[in-house]
Amino acid sequence: MVLVLALGDMHIPHRAPDIPAKFKSMLVPGKIQHIICTGNLCIKEVHDYLKTLCPDLHITRGEYDEDSRYPETKTLTIGQFKLGLCHGHQVIPWGDLDSLAMLQRQLDVDILVTGHTHQFTAYKHEGGVVINPGSATGAYSSITYDVNPSFVLMDIDALRVVVYVYELIDGEVKVDKIDFKKTSTSVPAL
Amino acid sequence: MPPALLDPPLSETSLVPYLISGTISQEPVPESRLFEDLRGLRWRINLGVLPPCSSLTSIDDLRRATANSRRRYASLRGQLLVDPHITKDGSSSPPNLVMDNPLSQNPNSTWGRFFQNAELERMVDQDLSRLYPEHGFYFQTKGCQGILRRILLLWCLKHPECGYRQGMHELLAPLFYVLQDDVEHHSEVRKLHEDHFTDRFDGLFCQENDISYSFDFIKSPDLLNDEIDSHGEGVKIKSLDELDPKIQTIVLLSDAYGAEGELGIVLSEKFIEHDAYCMFEALMNGARGSVAMADFFSYSPVAGSHTGLPPVIEASAALYHLLSHVDSSLYSHLVELGVEPQYFALRWLRVLFGREFSLDNLLIIWDEIFLSDNSEMEKHVEDNADTGFRLFHSSRGRFISAIAVAMLLHIRSSLLATENPTTCLQRLLSFPEDTDIKKLIEKAKSLQTLALSSEISSSTPMLIEYNKGKSVVARSISIPCESGSPKTPNSLLPDNSYWEEKWRVVHSAEELKQDGVEKQVPSQKKRWTEKVKLSLKRTESEPSSSTIKSGKKESKASVNRSLLEDLSKKLGSEGDTEKLGCHEVGQQDDGSDDSNNYDADDRCLSKNISSENSFNSASPPNEIKDLENENISQKSSVGSNLSVDEINEISHSSPIDSPLPISDHPENNLSPAPGRNNDSTGNLATISRDIKLNKFQWLWKFGRNKAELLSEKRGRASEPVKPTNNFNNNQSNTAPSSTAGEHCSSVNFKGDSADQNVMGTLRNIGQSMLEHIQVIESAFQHERGQGASLDNNMSKNVLVGKGQVTAMSALTELRKISNLLSEM
Repeated sequence: MVLVLALGDMHIPHRAPDIPAKFKSMLVPGKIQHIICTGNLCIKEVHDYLKTLCPDLHITRGEYDEDSRYPETKTLTIGQFKLGLCHGHQVIPWGDLDSLAMLQRQLDVDILVTGHTHQFTAYKHEGGVVINPGSATGAYSSITYDVNPSFVLMDIDALRVVVYVYELIDGEVKVDKIDFKKTSTSVPAL
Repeated sequence: MPPALLDPPLSETSLVPYLISGTISQEPVPESRLFEDLRGLRWRINLGVLPPCSSLTSIDDLRRATANSRRRYASLRGQLLVDPHITKDGSSSPPNLVMDNPLSQNPNSTWGRFFQNAELERMVDQDLSRLYPEHGFYFQTKGCQGILRRILLLWCLKHPECGYRQGMHELLAPLFYVLQDDVEHHSEVRKLHEDHFTDRFDGLFCQENDISYSFDFIKSPDLLNDEIDSHGEGVKIKSLDELDPKIQTIVLLSDAYGAEGELGIVLSEKFIEHDAYCMFEALMNGARGSVAMADFFSYSPVAGSHTGLPPVIEASAALYHLLSHVDSSLYSHLVELGVEPQYFALRWLRVLFGREFSLDNLLIIWDEIFLSDNSEMEKHVEDNADTGFRLFHSSRGRFISAIAVAMLLHIRSSLLATENPTTCLQRLLSFPEDTDIKKLIEKAKSLQTLALSSEISSSTPMLIEYNKGKSVVARSISIPCESGSPKTPNSLLPDNSYWEEKWRVVHSAEELKQDGVEKQVPSQKKRWTEKVKLSLKRTESEPSSSTIKSGKKESKASVNRSLLEDLSKKLGSEGDTEKLGCHEVGQQDDGSDDSNNYDADDRCLSKNISSENSFNSASPPNEIKDLENENISQKSSVGSNLSVDEINEISHSSPIDSPLPISDHPENNLSPAPGRNNDSTGNLATISRDIKLNKFQWLWKFGRNKAELLSEKRGRASEPVKPTNNFNNNQSNTAPSSTAGEHCSSVNFKGDSADQNVMGTLRNIGQSMLEHIQVIESAFQHERGQGASLDNNMSKNVLVGKGQVTAMSALTELRKISNLLSEM
């Protein structure tokens, strides 16, 4: 019963002032065990805010991040799952599934979380899951029209992961749920 | 193919246990002996989880009750323990994700409840991790902890008004332990009598065979033995009836094929959690009885409480109440130190002494507690129905309080030796390890009956009624008016008390001739306490604060009283009265010189002191009177350092002779001129208050020092001092008992050069003088109190006048004393 929050691409303060209030009201400390952030926060204050939500924070470097010490990619293991994290601007073409799958194989993870496109996607692809949490603030993107603020919450429970997607559409929070199961421990064939 | 009954006798014998209807086929066993080894089962019956086992109830009933309780728990568990992953069957097909997502703020969503439960679990875990570390190999195992956590969580979810409080886990742990104990006992018995417990057809694999059904009997080891023994001298028990009845019951209780099947196996490891929960719940809500442990954890008064106190405070007060009846000196000592009962009783009661005894001893104690019936007693007396402590309403409650008092008595000597509340509490909270539990329980049982009687005879429990203990001790007249705000016309009371006192003085003087002196002292002291009380009542404007103060006062009074008593007994009256006389005389001189410098803070303080004053043998009126006598020689003869110091000290600060209500001058106004009132009675009040305060403080100090003084002088034969003093004291002693006093004084004087008589009279006279003084002071107090409280000048004057009258009469008495003295 591990709750993992995945978000990114806030672009605060350059393209957006803050995470939407409705999202902020939902993000209370104490419930979430891990936070993985794809990058482009961009400033330290956002880092601190995320730190208050949960002490276990993982961030990878986006191209506009002001802190250059974040790594390019990161892997971590939660429960039975291996998670991989990368901003995504390194993978060209941006948002291409096959290229991302290549990265996933490279990192050898079950779940790959990337961003940069500011659009939520979740694919089940070749024995792995590729998730893009979108932009938490709905910041402008040069490659996507109509960006809605969104983030992802993963509930990892033994061999099952439930992905809750929170999107702010027309001022209302919409939630969606996707189930993924890992069939066996050795071969990550989902 | 049906199994051929090739061995009918054997199969019959093995089937016999299951054919019995389930009743214990012998004469009914007395309830206390039933299930002696099975503590868990006994407790379940005592707590009300299972029906009480009389000859009418059968094993089947027990099993059914067990099964029902377990079903209840299982359904509760399924209902309340939330797993948000599992969607309930039959719910609306697309679950409303906006509501049911993990971040949902909605407290009713499954996730919301899940997080609430997680919060509760965290609290429970904090306590559980520290549960019984000395038995950690049992209680700290993951399985046990998980079970306990679940039970506590479910109980708290079911009773959200209580929530989880620290200590509940300590109540649960022994319950769980005894159930586990039972199961182990059961398995031991099972090992010994294996064949009666198992159906030997269970677990036997039937071999497939084409031709015949070869039920391979050889495989079964029982059969082998049976065959061999059947024609031997078979000592082996074949039928259930031949078993020891205890074993028999165990077999029946754990029969998997009996009523309710597996769920009905009364001693079952599988359902320990269920049973423990039922026991815990029964214990916490008291099974409709009077003692419900859950009440002890609540902070607010229970509905129907008579005192409006949280139940645990009330129960602690009940404890102290019982202690006051049993051992008043320990009680008063504890009260003096300011050790309120709930400081230690909170822990005792909430965990039912779980932290004071080792687990084994605790089980014995709980045996006894649960044996006592918890049903509310029907009150025979109607008007007592609303009074008394709730704890005393059931015999279980009484037993609990009796155990607590027995524990207090056990460490009595070490408690009495403590000087400050901290050490006292330390000793209370670390109860000695090696107590003899049997003795403790016997004592508790004897106290239990006492609790019953004292409960009926006591009046309504009040909040800060430590006075009550004292009132019981001091044989007070009327308890109810202690707490009520006194509205009685003050004019009447002084007269009554004054004349009562006169009467008593007369009688006591007569008694003196016959009895020893010692008797006088307690009775007079009692009178004093009564007077103190009455005077206190009259002047109370804030009942609560003044009861506190009066408690303090009385405690001090009692200290002095006890000191005096001791002294009087030890020293012999001679030294006593001599010193009394000396001191009185000494004071007289001092009083005259005093100036009024004191700041009176509040009336209460002065009231405080006034009560102690009344207790002391000093008498300001004496000062007034005997100033004329000018016994300076006597003053000098009082050679003690203390009195000299006193005198010096007093001459700086203390007041004058202002028992006279009239004196508006700070200087000495010896003449008790009745007519001289102040223009502003307020002024009078303040002045008199100041004066009184000073005087009282002085006298209070004096009284204390006097006690020391007396003890100092114990060994000294102050012979040169004696004759003169005796002479004077004789006179002074004879004076007060005006009507018959002279008679007795003369009687005393005649003939008896025997010191004892003289001493007796001396003491008598001294004490009666004290009483007079007290009356005066009380009168003074009244008018002063009225002066402060009343706005109406007219009434003030009237009452002041009456106070004056009484003061005057007392003063005249004292004059007589002094006249006698001067004569002689």
